[in-house]
Amino acid sequence: MTDPHHPDPDPLLHAEVQQAGGIGYVSGYLLTVVLLGVALLLTEQKGMQPQALLIAISGLSIFLLIAQCMLFFGLDVTRYNIWKSVSLVLTVPLFILSIGLTVWMFHSLNHLMMLPEMPGMPLQPTILQ
Amino acid sequence: MDARANPEGPLPPLWHYGETEHDPISTKTLGFWLYMLSDALIFAGLFAAYAVLDQNMNMADGPTAAQVVHPVAAFWQTLAVLSSVLAYSLATVALKTGNRARVLLGIVVAIVFGGLFIALEIGDFVSLFAMGATPDRSGFLSAFFVLVASHGLHMMFGILWMLVLIPQIIRSGFNTAVVTRLLNLRLFWQFQASVWVCVYVFVYLKGTMP
Repeated sequence: MTDPHHPDPDPLLHAEVQQAGGIGYVSGYLLTVVLLGVALLLTEQKGMQPQALLIAISGLSIFLLIAQCMLFFGLDVTRYNIWKSVSLVLTVPLFILSIGLTVWMFHSLNHLMMLPEMPGMPLQPTILQ
Repeated sequence: MDARANPEGPLPPLWHYGETEHDPISTKTLGFWLYMLSDALIFAGLFAAYAVLDQNMNMADGPTAAQVVHPVAAFWQTLAVLSSVLAYSLATVALKTGNRARVLLGIVVAIVFGGLFIALEIGDFVSLFAMGATPDRSGFLSAFFVLVASHGLHMMFGILWMLVLIPQIIRSGFNTAVVTRLLNLRLFWQFQASVWVCVYVFVYLKGTMP
């Protein structure tokens, strides 16, 4: 690990160490706890339509994930963090494709291929029983 | 790339023709970040499977999501995992000044809250097993347990990593290798908070919706 020609500079002075920010970590903690609490209250009150509620709590979670990227991971476009940000931006389409296309495909399969449920009809297809 | 240079100063040249100093902290941190993104894709696959299997046909007349999730009880898990992440993150703030006692204190508090999270999750699983909701009951329950337990396993490995780091800090102090491991563990631990946000919202909260 130690190179006799170049004595190790103090690792604690490295930008990755020095970019730690207590205020950012505490606000990330408070934001996550409060907003997940709000999402819990919205869900428990059952005052909203399911569709609107799902959009609301999904929006809260996406907002929280972006906030955590900035407050916890410290992502920005300075030259110490730009490649982390770029690799995340390039990975986001993979999240959307892997989750979105899978759900879309199975939703369409279910919608187009399955017989509509009739009253008195067993839930399971006969072949599985 | 010399990350120790003054951030306001001139940009370093793209390459040096001679022998240059290696920056293991920057390269290993970027490498670990790329691992974290691939780990996030594993979770994306698990969430996709859960979204598909969270459907009447796959309940196999067994328990539904509304019967296995308890979002109010799971909020204690939210508090536990977030408190653990905060404690560890504050430990790395103490690392800036090399305060060994506060770094160790932060790690110990993070282990306690992480252990609390694991205990709550195991207690939840035991009560689900007792009511017959086991992973082999239905496709839905398989996806549910694999997704939630994958996050729990990550938490266990994070705690193991902290337990390994404590003697290393005491024995060797903050040398380059130990500091790199501490920084990568911060990345890993904060990532668990992000995954928990998705698990809590899309499994526990969405599970109670009709």
